[in-house]
Amino acid sequence: MKVEYLFYLLVFPGLLFTGVVGLLVGWVDRKVSARFQYRVGPPLFQNFNDFFKLLGKETMIVKQSVHWLFIAAPLVAFAALVLLSTMIGSALFYQQNIGGGLIVVMYLLMVSSVMIILGGSSTGNVYSSIGAAREIKLLLADELVFIFVCLIPIIKSGYQIDLVQIAGIQESGGAFIRATSGIIGFILGILCIQAKMTLPPFHIPEAETELVEGPLMEYSGPPLAFWKLNHFMMWVVYPFLLVLLYLGGFKSEGLGILWFVLKYLAIVVVMIIIKNTNPRIRIDTALHFFWKILTPLGIIALILSVLGA
Amino acid sequence: MVDKTLYLLVSVPFVVAIINIVLPKVLRSILNLLGSVFLLYLSIRLLLGEPSPIKILEWEVFSMDKLTGFALIFIQILSIIILIYALKGLDKKLSGKFCILYPFTVACCNATVLSSNAVSLVIFWGLSGLVLYLFGLLGTGPDAQRTAKKTFILIGGSDALLLTGLIILFHESFKVNIFLSPTALDNAAAVLAFIMLLIAALAKAGGFPFHTWLPEYSKEAPVESVALLPAALDKILGIYLLARMVMSIFNMETNIGMQLFFITLGAVTVIIAVMMAMIQHNGRKLLGYHAVSQVGYMIMGVGSGNPIAMAGGLFHMINNTIYKSNLFLSLGSVEKQVGSSELSEMGGLGKKMPFTFTMALVGALSISGIPPFNGFFSKWMIYTGILEKAKGLPGGYQLWILLCLVLAVFGSALTLASFLKFIHAIFLGKRPAKLDQIKESSANHWIATGILAVSCLVLGLFAVQLIFRPFMVGMITKFNTDTLTSLSDMYSPTLVILLMLVSFGIGLVVYLLTRKVRYDDNYLGGMPALEKFRVVGTEFYNEIRNMSPLRSLYNAAEEKWCDIYELASKFTVSFSKLLQKAHPGQLQLYLLYIVIGVLLSIWIIR
Repeated sequence: MKVEYLFYLLVFPGLLFTGVVGLLVGWVDRKVSARFQYRVGPPLFQNFNDFFKLLGKETMIVKQSVHWLFIAAPLVAFAALVLLSTMIGSALFYQQNIGGGLIVVMYLLMVSSVMIILGGSSTGNVYSSIGAAREIKLLLADELVFIFVCLIPIIKSGYQIDLVQIAGIQESGGAFIRATSGIIGFILGILCIQAKMTLPPFHIPEAETELVEGPLMEYSGPPLAFWKLNHFMMWVVYPFLLVLLYLGGFKSEGLGILWFVLKYLAIVVVMIIIKNTNPRIRIDTALHFFWKILTPLGIIALILSVLGA
Repeated sequence: MVDKTLYLLVSVPFVVAIINIVLPKVLRSILNLLGSVFLLYLSIRLLLGEPSPIKILEWEVFSMDKLTGFALIFIQILSIIILIYALKGLDKKLSGKFCILYPFTVACCNATVLSSNAVSLVIFWGLSGLVLYLFGLLGTGPDAQRTAKKTFILIGGSDALLLTGLIILFHESFKVNIFLSPTALDNAAAVLAFIMLLIAALAKAGGFPFHTWLPEYSKEAPVESVALLPAALDKILGIYLLARMVMSIFNMETNIGMQLFFITLGAVTVIIAVMMAMIQHNGRKLLGYHAVSQVGYMIMGVGSGNPIAMAGGLFHMINNTIYKSNLFLSLGSVEKQVGSSELSEMGGLGKKMPFTFTMALVGALSISGIPPFNGFFSKWMIYTGILEKAKGLPGGYQLWILLCLVLAVFGSALTLASFLKFIHAIFLGKRPAKLDQIKESSANHWIATGILAVSCLVLGLFAVQLIFRPFMVGMITKFNTDTLTSLSDMYSPTLVILLMLVSFGIGLVVYLLTRKVRYDDNYLGGMPALEKFRVVGTEFYNEIRNMSPLRSLYNAAEEKWCDIYELASKFTVSFSKLLQKAHPGQLQLYLLYIVIGVLLSIWIIR
């Protein structure tokens, strides 16, 4: 292992960068959401305060639970997300492939959901178990479409699974979103991210009003702080992945940085708007939506991308 | 000296089996274990040396190459681990027969993979099917006998096809050593022989549509035998034959149609079996369906014709034997404590059986393809190889392969889902009060599953050093050291785990520095945590089960419309009814039959 990988992992684009940007974007989300609801919204550093305050709180562990799994789950999910942010970020900013390509990223993205399910249901709480069941079904619903979202850039880049190559080909040949299949893939991608982050209208597993945060119900103190941090880090990891796959990645020269920030914020804003304008749907509706409406669209996009459109 | 050592691989376990008939029960397991360790030593020695083939009357019977060595070593390793598991806790009524059948099984499997001669291949292949039947008869459930019979008919039928296929091959090329020169698939006879061999391989490994014996067998037979045969050795034999067919019996390198057929068959096997696995309520049947579903990946990889995917397919075969035996044995440990394999009878055992839970969790994550475990590595290789395969093909072929790939990747998400249900139902969630007295199973159980769990991680991290460099390079055409370098560039599991460990460590330090722990009961909004608030997990996927059009498909599958055995028996019964009707006992009618028969014979002879 090269020493600079530790820098990538811990500082930029890994832990520190993703954590700080995630918490800040979380503020944007809260602020914009508040404006949607005619509220003032929290101050800029509210998410930081929340995180550190949670670290100081008591950790309540259910006596009957599997203690090690209950504590390890948020930490493993955290480790997976830090690694993902390093992998995607290094491909974007350093043109370096660390660890693996797109298929590895696809599978690592599942780790977070798996850990939520395992950690939540380790407590034996009925709400957590129901929430966990919904989390798995939601994962199944969006995963099928997400496979198409990942396959289209692979095909368009001439069967490259290396993230650096996928970004590099767009740099020379134009972003994939310019093609019809790219547009469909990008839209599908945003909807998948929305579900993967369990944002409204797909906050079915957590369903505050009926399941009281579902799998996270028994969490408190530092483990809950990590779950919250994980969620904020996803605000960076997923949109960065979409920028890399469809919007042409990152260029360091000229107005490259500005363009990148704009692309990123555009995705974030679209997600916040979807989040604030849709009520929660039922899990069977979500399955129906992803499998019967979006999957055919994915197949069409796949056909188009094979045809070169 | 080396000349005769190939014999030892078969004769030693046979002799052990015979000695076990007369040996006191206490010593049988120990002799078995010693025999297996000796066989492992022998296999490694043979692989390092270059043993000359064994001949009887100028006909080569046993020979050894890298593929044989690869299969042999893993047969011995798995048999040792399952023996460790069976040292204690085996049903006393069964243990006598079990200890005799066990070395006999190993002997048959060793002989099958060593056979380079069509005749010995058929004989030992058939015998290995017979031991499967005999193990099935040891089951104590009400359906054990019926299931063993079903298994025997399906496997025995496929043996007959293997024999016929080899006879056709012999007729075509007049060679008994079937691996000498590949037969081209350019005429009807060769294609027929190919189909027959393929059915035999699929039935043994549990590929669609000849898999229907496997889930039922898994439920009824003793768990040690399920972990040994359908989960491990039968997979090695079936996929070994498939690999032989692709690599040396038939010439398929340029046959794109056949490669597409294999990829499609693999994807269909994956998705159908995993969809069935998801809705199972019995732990063993759930694992049984997964044993089928995983074969799909192997078929995809081995049949695709791409070197990376082929290596991935063979690697997946080994991985599957490891995690599937682990899962079956872990479930067996739980079952021995709880007294049932029904998921609804279990729950919350993770705290009572921490070792078993940890091993089962590793197995579940491996089979679901979570990096950096071994299951992910082999799946990743299969996907990468198949994408590479699609690259150079015309658009229509590309699209077809990509759709199969989507099914396979989605199959792995479904696998994850069904294993989360499995883990939740057995180890997580609320524990029913009747299971409060459950204890961890005996040490030999979790040592055996522990070795398998550690292997899942070790093979996931060091597959290049442990599997690809010693076995695959030189065995698969176009799979060389350059391929290995490019593979390591594309995916580095050690780097992935190192980076994850660093960030996990940071998280852990933060937690340890800030934690103030309090232990309390579940919070249910002020309600007491009663038994009625227990979520079992068996109903997790009811929404998917009841979704149209899946509902009607599931209903049809549960009525056994897809079971080739049931269909064949329905056909046989209706056909014999027809024959019954033709036998009313009237003399005139029989005279008419004779006249028609004579006329037909004259017409044919003419």
